Amino acid sequence: MNDRTIQLPDKVNIDTIPGIYDRIKGMVRRSSDSERITIDFGEVNHIDSAGVVALEKVQRDAGDKGVEIIFENISPMVEKTMQSFSSKLIESPPKKSRPHILEYLGEYTYKYWVTFRDFILLLANISYFGFVSFFHPKLRRKGEVIRQSNFIGVTALPIIVLVNFLIGLVLALQVGIQMRPFGAEIFVAQLIGFAMIAELGPLLTAIMLAGRSGSSIAAEIGAMNVSEEIDALRSMGIDPVPYLIVPKLYAILITMPLLVAIATFFGIFGGAVIGYSVFQIEFTVFYNEVVFILRYYEIMTALVKSIVFATIIIVVASYYGLHVEEGAEGVGRATTRSVVVAIFLVIVADSLLGLLFYL
Amino acid sequence: MHMAKPIITAKNLFAGYNEENILDDVSIDIFENEITVILGVSGCGKTTLLKNLIGLMKPSSGSIEVLDHDIVYIDEGEYNQLMRRIGVLFQGGALLNSIPISHNVAIPLEQHTDLPDYIIDEIVRLKLSLVGLGHAYDYLPAHLSGGMRKRAALARAIALDPAVLFADEPTAGLDPVTASSLDNLLLSLREQLGMTLIIVTHELSSIRRVADKIIYLDKGKVLFSGKLDEALESDIPELQKFFTV
Repeated sequence: MNDRTIQLPDKVNIDTIPGIYDRIKGMVRRSSDSERITIDFGEVNHIDSAGVVALEKVQRDAGDKGVEIIFENISPMVEKTMQSFSSKLIESPPKKSRPHILEYLGEYTYKYWVTFRDFILLLANISYFGFVSFFHPKLRRKGEVIRQSNFIGVTALPIIVLVNFLIGLVLALQVGIQMRPFGAEIFVAQLIGFAMIAELGPLLTAIMLAGRSGSSIAAEIGAMNVSEEIDALRSMGIDPVPYLIVPKLYAILITMPLLVAIATFFGIFGGAVIGYSVFQIEFTVFYNEVVFILRYYEIMTALVKSIVFATIIIVVASYYGLHVEEGAEGVGRATTRSVVVAIFLVIVADSLLGLLFYL
Repeated sequence: MHMAKPIITAKNLFAGYNEENILDDVSIDIFENEITVILGVSGCGKTTLLKNLIGLMKPSSGSIEVLDHDIVYIDEGEYNQLMRRIGVLFQGGALLNSIPISHNVAIPLEQHTDLPDYIIDEIVRLKLSLVGLGHAYDYLPAHLSGGMRKRAALARAIALDPAVLFADEPTAGLDPVTASSLDNLLLSLREQLGMTLIIVTHELSSIRRVADKIIYLDKGKVLFSGKLDEALESDIPELQKFFTV
């Protein structure tokens, strides 16, 4: 049996151990079965946990390869430290059995079913209290409808106006350029009017509100949930749905149709600006063309859409806020999910309503 | 009287927030392998003193020397090197919530050593086992109780076998049984790692269990500095009141 020795330095710690470890590992690699390597601790005055862990690890790995590593000349002090940090102290985490694919499938199906069920229950709860709270204002947080209307409606107005104006502008330009070869630029007015009133006005406003107000509502309710404020309300016999969520529902139901109307107006105005400056369509002509295409039906479509989208934004934001898990990190996740899901559901609802109204 | 050189020294320290001094001419010495408890009533400047000693706050005047480094005028590279030898256990644990506790403990090892990942993993398992959390390797901080979170934070603080461990209210908010087991853990870590501990607390039972030395702060001034026995027998009214409440 060959016997080779490695002399350890006086300090075997986090700084010196990577080099020592590589040296021993290299020697083990070059050794054949049943060779022996001696590690001489004679000069070691200090060893830390990293040193103990690494030396024990290389000893175990060498053993698996059939190479024996022997520790020699260990002082009582170093021996004590080695016992304090021995890998024998490591507690193994409980072994998790790998679930079968059907278990995965079942678990996910159940999870989505529970989400869907809770979402529908919350929708029913909000609808019920939305109706009841109208006649019992005491159920709601005082002054909250005004405060929320200001936040959801007034403060969101500038960005919604700007976005719709720019979309109207760009849309009119692109459509007009396509129509110019046919001398049909005048139809830009009808197209912009129809698209903004029935489709883009409500949709763009809803997307902006889902990103701006929906995320803020999810974060607010989520933070309240994490800091046990929701539990505190429940413990005082106050239902958080009428107290916290219904005022937000009222606020968005009041402000969203108004925002849609203003957004639509500025979208059409953006189109009119391009109509006038690029395609020489007078403002009065543009106005007459829009009025010509405009029916009460389109206005009702926009109104129904804005009410449906507003409800989706509130219910989704409240759902994710009320179902926050895992502290502050969970609040961030809930906020992101609420925006993604609300925008997705708004687009799905828009498609379904589009089919319903125009098929 | 200590003949040895202190490993932490603060001299004539004035520090505070918004130009208002909370620490008023504080001078202290901390010696190797001792457990020093900084105590005092709420608002007396305990946490401010701790933050100054760690270098998280700069004093308005005075000097602080930690492990032979002037921590007031230290440059960033030297500070980062020094912090390898210092562990800090924050009051709320201050674990990164988005990653499992094993990753939390691995951070200082990954950032400050050249050890291979499987050795780091083994050290992480050892440190978690030392604080009794070997079974919770994959858990996120949010899945742990308050006591477990503090123990996980302790595992992270001792990941690099620091020479000095600062602990801010390690047992605050814990039940007496968990608090006592955390104190015993600190004592055994001192024994195993030969650490010097500086603990900020006002938990009387903890103080009696772990303290070698007491530094009593009152309105930002050091009212008493000495051994626990001397503190218990002191005739300083504030200190007497503190220990007899």
